[in-house]
Amino acid sequence: MAGEVAGPPDDPELLARFNPRVASGEQIEAGEWMPAEYRFEALRLIQMHANSEIMGALPEREWIPRAPTLARKMALTAKVQDEVGHAMLLYRVAETLGRSREEMFAELVEGRSRFHNVFHYPAETWADVAIIQVFVDGAAMQTQGALRSCSYAPYARVLKRICYEEDFHIQLGLDVWRALAEGTPRQRAMLQDALNRWWTPIIHFFGMPDRVSPHTEKMLAWHIKIKSNEELRQQFLRRFVPIILEYGLDVPDPGLRLVESEQRYVYTEPDWEELKRVGRNNGPKSAERLALRQAFYRQHAWVRDAVTRGAAA
Amino acid sequence: MTAAGSWERRLDAPRDVWAVFLQSRTRDPHIHVGDVHAPDAEMALVVAKENYARRDPCVSLWVVRAGEIHATTADAAEMFDPALDKSYRFGGSYRKQQQVYRSAWRLSHRDEDQ
Repeated sequence: MAGEVAGPPDDPELLARFNPRVASGEQIEAGEWMPAEYRFEALRLIQMHANSEIMGALPEREWIPRAPTLARKMALTAKVQDEVGHAMLLYRVAETLGRSREEMFAELVEGRSRFHNVFHYPAETWADVAIIQVFVDGAAMQTQGALRSCSYAPYARVLKRICYEEDFHIQLGLDVWRALAEGTPRQRAMLQDALNRWWTPIIHFFGMPDRVSPHTEKMLAWHIKIKSNEELRQQFLRRFVPIILEYGLDVPDPGLRLVESEQRYVYTEPDWEELKRVGRNNGPKSAERLALRQAFYRQHAWVRDAVTRGAAA
Repeated sequence: MTAAGSWERRLDAPRDVWAVFLQSRTRDPHIHVGDVHAPDAEMALVVAKENYARRDPCVSLWVVRAGEIHATTADAAEMFDPALDKSYRFGGSYRKQQQVYRSAWRLSHRDEDQ
């Protein structure tokens, strides 16, 4: 990946000052000097996060008109609004690293940039909404919670707010989850079915176990990455597997077991090729969702235009 | 961009970026909570309300073009390091006096305690 960073090499003197500063836990502000590769990696991370928030709103928004009660409809609307709000915050942070919001939005709708694997899958039933709110947001919370100590200060600040709102999403999701888990046999079956379909994408979410590469080492030293993929996955399993068991549902992986002495879960290796395929926008819903995002972007062009021109007049 | 070593700079932000300051209660100060994109101040306030005031309490919002803000630089951070011992500015530095005062108070109220 380092090869993708073009331009002149970093000033060795500035680099020699930057590295120990960041390694000691200091944070970098927008506009400060940073190595080209640091800028590239931070931008890539934050842009992907922003894309995921705005694309993540899509599977859930499908359920707003079909939510079973008015209270559920209002809560889900609030949650979807939060996700779009997170995208707004994150695109602004990404912009401070040198790419305009218009450019990033164009890259997204034209399929030139990526978003998280979980948002390439369908939300088939109301139970999927519960799974997304508890487990997908719960998985995201592990990564984002860790990144609150990221060395890029504007990102760390925004994550504080995002995690605060994600916590609401998980609580809301647990309420939907509980209602279904304690409901009729049909509701329980619907919940189990949704869990079965989402299990692999959720295990995929954290990425493949990291190779010990100079690149990973550098990301860790720069505090652009805080914990390894596997550490985050284990952290997630420790918190969320008990929720499945408490409600008497089945963990969709027969190979899953806890190694008590290490507080580590052993799980069946998922098909990592699927993750790679989905990540390249070849998931079951990738094309449809990108087309939807693009259609809305075009459809709303007149609003942006009216607002901008109204101000200029 | 200002020259290296400068202690102040104007924030570098596109013209349509507005910094948002939110006041939670009238007894609190306005605090920078983030930015919005907007073509003018009125629209910036509308977008700021939707993005920053939809859940937690807010009594007032300020917006200002982010590029109008002047800030001290990271290079200048050391000017905030105390040049000398500033303990004399803190109430907690006067413990001895507080102990004397408290023991005097206890002595004079001894009868009441029993």
